[in-house]
Amino acid sequence: MQVSTDHSDKAQSDCHFDMESLVGYILLTGVLLSIALLAVGFVWRWLRVGNLRFEHSIAGMNFFEFILSTLRQMSSQAFRPRLFINMGIGVLMLTPFARVLASVFYFAFVEHNWKYTLFTGFVLSVLTYSLFLR
Amino acid sequence: MSFHLLFIVSIVAGFVGAMSGMGGGVILIPVLTFFGMDIKHAIAVSIVSVIATSSGSASAYVRDRITNLKVGMFLEMFTIVGALAGAAITIVSGRRILFILFGIVLLSSWIALFRQRNEGWRPAARQDLFSRWLELEGSYYDRSARQTIVYQGARAYLGGPLMFGAGLIAGLLGIGAGALKVLIHDLVMGLPPKVSTTTSNLIIGVTALAGTSVYLAAGMIDPGLTAPIILGVVSGAFMGTRVLVRLTNQTVRHIFLGVLLVLGIEMLLRGIWGV
Repeated sequence: MQVSTDHSDKAQSDCHFDMESLVGYILLTGVLLSIALLAVGFVWRWLRVGNLRFEHSIAGMNFFEFILSTLRQMSSQAFRPRLFINMGIGVLMLTPFARVLASVFYFAFVEHNWKYTLFTGFVLSVLTYSLFLR
Repeated sequence: MSFHLLFIVSIVAGFVGAMSGMGGGVILIPVLTFFGMDIKHAIAVSIVSVIATSSGSASAYVRDRITNLKVGMFLEMFTIVGALAGAAITIVSGRRILFILFGIVLLSSWIALFRQRNEGWRPAARQDLFSRWLELEGSYYDRSARQTIVYQGARAYLGGPLMFGAGLIAGLLGIGAGALKVLIHDLVMGLPPKVSTTTSNLIIGVTALAGTSVYLAAGMIDPGLTAPIILGVVSGAFMGTRVLVRLTNQTVRHIFLGVLLVLGIEMLLRGIWGV
């Protein structure tokens, strides 16, 4: 094990936007947005009917159909608490996907690291395939 | 099961999951089934919450530069394929024998770790060519030790295929399977415990997403149950993350050992009794 008490590495890495910052903020934003949407759904539900119980299931559909169906209902002004719950879950599922997508671009266009562009590209392809499953 | 109970159980699950790097599913699934939920639906709901636990805690670990992104991104290639296979198997199969097998695997892992409980982290003696090609070295600033720890990941040629197994179990049982991921990082690849735990958290999110997509397609995700669980595990995970970075590597390992033992016995008994 090698150790150092010099903080310069950390200080240096803190002062510019790198892969860690990109990944960290994507995850943070995704989780916070998801939580906010879920919280809005629950608060609205509570104000409207006085309880927090939702009873609806998602019929067998793939992820993109689930998101499109929710967005379509929202765009037709059919705002309901459960649509916010659906969007909260959708955003949460998109969070690791967005993290992998951003990593592909970062490795390809910032680091020019083709080895890791290939690795993350493979992960992205498999995830995309899985989200189309139905 | 009421919103309040779901929420409280989920906070505890998220906290323990983040502290140990295992995700919260190991606590959620027994509780949900205890309250009468079908185990396959509990697995499906749990695996969505695992995305939340992982993303919530990983966001902080990554920005603290403890997580090794390259180790994580290399190993994800194996775990997501395993998770897809595992989730597909769960949908069509019974699970009694799988629970027994999982219990045995975890208890074996516990024995291996228990023997080393008082030993500090032992770095890899040397980095093999493949791991060097994969650029698996790194460093992080350890707040509790007040020093920068420099390390080299090794034996990636073993770690990768073993991670397929960890992904398979994650998809199969709706848990993070962080126990196995941490073991592989720690014992096979020679990563420091904090790097093992935090990198495991990063990988768990993508692995759980792969499993979730299969359960979503099968119509097994119930948003009404999933949403309060997500809220709870994220709250718990944020609290767990704040505590983890202030603990020593040895403490993290002791917590990990305790959770691993309980999980192993629980899985084994459930398989034997068929509950």
